[in-house]
Amino acid sequence: MNVGVAHSEVNPNTRVMNSRGMWLTYALGVGLLHIVLLSIPFFSVPVAWTLTNIIHNLGMYVFLHAVKGTPFETPDQGKARLLTHWEQLDYGVQFTSSRKFFTISPIILVASGVLNSSKRPSTMHQLVLEQRRMKNTKDTRYFLASFYTKYDPTHFILNTASLLSVLIPKMPQLHGVRIFGINKY
Amino acid sequence: MRPGSEGCCCRRPMRANGCVANGEVLNGYVRNSAAAAAAAGQIHHITENGGLYKRPFNEAFEETPMLVAVLTYVGYGVLTLFGYLRDFLRHWRIEKCHHATEREEQKDFVSLYQDFENFYTRNLYMRIRDNWNRPICSVPGAKVDIMERQSHDYNWSFKYTGNIIKGVINMGSYNYLGFAQNTGSCQEAAAKVLKEYGAGVCSTRQEIGNLDKHEELEKLLATFLGVEASMAYGMGFATNSMNIPALVGKGCLILSDELNHASLVLGARLSGATIRIFKHNNMQSLEKLLKDAIVYGQPRTRRPWKKILILVEGIYSMEGSIVRLPEVIALKTKYKAYLYLDEAHSIGALGPTGRGVVDYFGLNPEDVDIMMGTFTKSFGAAGGYIGGKKELIDYLRTHSHSAVYATSLSPPVVEQIITSMKCIMGLDGTSLGKERIQQLAENTRYFRRRLKEMGFIIYGNEDSPVVPLMLYMPAKIGAFGREMLKRNIGVVVVGFPATPIIESRARFCLSAAHTKEILDTTLKEIDEVGDLLQLKYSRHRLVPLLDRPFDETTYEETED
Repeated sequence: MNVGVAHSEVNPNTRVMNSRGMWLTYALGVGLLHIVLLSIPFFSVPVAWTLTNIIHNLGMYVFLHAVKGTPFETPDQGKARLLTHWEQLDYGVQFTSSRKFFTISPIILVASGVLNSSKRPSTMHQLVLEQRRMKNTKDTRYFLASFYTKYDPTHFILNTASLLSVLIPKMPQLHGVRIFGINKY
Repeated sequence: MRPGSEGCCCRRPMRANGCVANGEVLNGYVRNSAAAAAAAGQIHHITENGGLYKRPFNEAFEETPMLVAVLTYVGYGVLTLFGYLRDFLRHWRIEKCHHATEREEQKDFVSLYQDFENFYTRNLYMRIRDNWNRPICSVPGAKVDIMERQSHDYNWSFKYTGNIIKGVINMGSYNYLGFAQNTGSCQEAAAKVLKEYGAGVCSTRQEIGNLDKHEELEKLLATFLGVEASMAYGMGFATNSMNIPALVGKGCLILSDELNHASLVLGARLSGATIRIFKHNNMQSLEKLLKDAIVYGQPRTRRPWKKILILVEGIYSMEGSIVRLPEVIALKTKYKAYLYLDEAHSIGALGPTGRGVVDYFGLNPEDVDIMMGTFTKSFGAAGGYIGGKKELIDYLRTHSHSAVYATSLSPPVVEQIITSMKCIMGLDGTSLGKERIQQLAENTRYFRRRLKEMGFIIYGNEDSPVVPLMLYMPAKIGAFGREMLKRNIGVVVVGFPATPIIESRARFCLSAAHTKEILDTTLKEIDEVGDLLQLKYSRHRLVPLLDRPFDETTYEETED
């Protein structure tokens, strides 16, 4: 069993993210991770969200931006040996649908995490109580503003830092760039 | 098959006294075209366009069920994580390291082995390695003897137990017409020639390696194919990889099918021409590429291409699909391109007289510019050939790398080819060839129909003797191979990275040597194993190949 025996695709890594069901599997995997973390009784909801973000971004960084080359021998004599998986996707063509999906997904995850890590009520009952309190103000804009001004700084910093660690390598300007020679060979 | 449509084995058989046998049991098969029509009710009306096709073209690739795809990725994910764990353990000497590593003194040098490139081999392939490279010790006919081997260190090394598993049903050999025999007229003729001419030629074709046997073979081959002249080479892979560079070069364009064999891909890359890939068997994709090539010409200079060569295969051995030859020929004539047809698997196996895919569609062999094929599969020999116009073959005799540098075919092998070809053509006076072709076609139809009825996902054309059965999940690759061997059936399984990641399969190659009893036994066992491993994924929603979206762009490697 060697690469390219049954198809003329030189590097299957370039197309694996486009295959049928990969995005769904990824989304389900992230969902599973989040549910597992939510089930641990020691973590509150904001902590679970932040942990989901950190673990997801760490995994994404390691597998897409740290590991180089292919786990199988390719017939092109190792053109992709110094390229990370992200750089190999679609043979380096930028802004394809897979790249857009994997850029947007950590942003959505972190945005949900930031929203959820505020000190707003974490159960439905508390939410309903707060709604009743808010109704008395007769100003629904107050309602929304009160959500967004309650971010917990620690969670916010952690989430944003891990998001940046995953978004910056995806920029097309950083294609093939190795800062300070880290991970060059 | 529509009732009343023609086909090489659905025709109502005429008995000697002229009366038509209708629905009777003949040779173990019930010939009843109405029942076959009800069973295979997927007629692709699109393929009956403008009378190009004289017979229905039934090809289908059922889409992977989404749940199966997700579970397959989960399977590969788990295997990858365990692979990293095992590598970690091996690195810290907790686990014994079996693969090649450098010596301690050399650890400071630049590394000799690319450890990551062997990740897949170390952690996935090694676990199920006992399904491949099984040593056989008899002629690989319909049944074969396999030497039993055991491994005590999880497939890193094998020991022979001394037992021989006898009579394993062979569903893996490319023995389409059953010529893999060690008795019979082919063997006797080859033995005589071996005594007369010896075993080797020890020279290239252009020096003193051109025997009268080679000339005899090439004349016979030219009549067999219906072309003006032909040339035979010692190795099928080398025929492709050495002759495509002789035909095209820089400034030419090669349009190659997505799933072409490695020899075609290598030949195309060696030639230095620009390669563009069209979607598998997709004529709209090919037409778009042809139009763009002719309108835009070469990149940057916009000069017209010197030559446009379309590379297709007769039967694609991993998918079991047959090329849409009438449409390709129509496109080639319209846009004035050349056609290179690789009939490695289809020569001898398709067509009412066994002349390959051109015969199967009832087309004129002169429409195909370069007909290439191999003798390895249906003829039970070795080597490859190219057939075409006399000027082309004369050119290849001087310019082909094989003719100049490679040894020519060995004489007993040539005699085997000549005898088997005469048998297929009927020139040896018996009807053995015709019976074999008929038997293969019936076996193909029967086997495919039964597997589809059982509920497996089978890829490819209804008439192709290569039957890929989809397994999808990595664990099932190993399980299927081992379970079938336990039940005395030898199959070929193949997975990632040889196939796309979610399309691992088991590939059955049918043979004229398989009798109906053998096929029934095999089908029964496949049924059992299918229930055991839950392989019956089919939801009978077949996506006709034309409806596969070809607008989804794939990106090609650009040569800088």
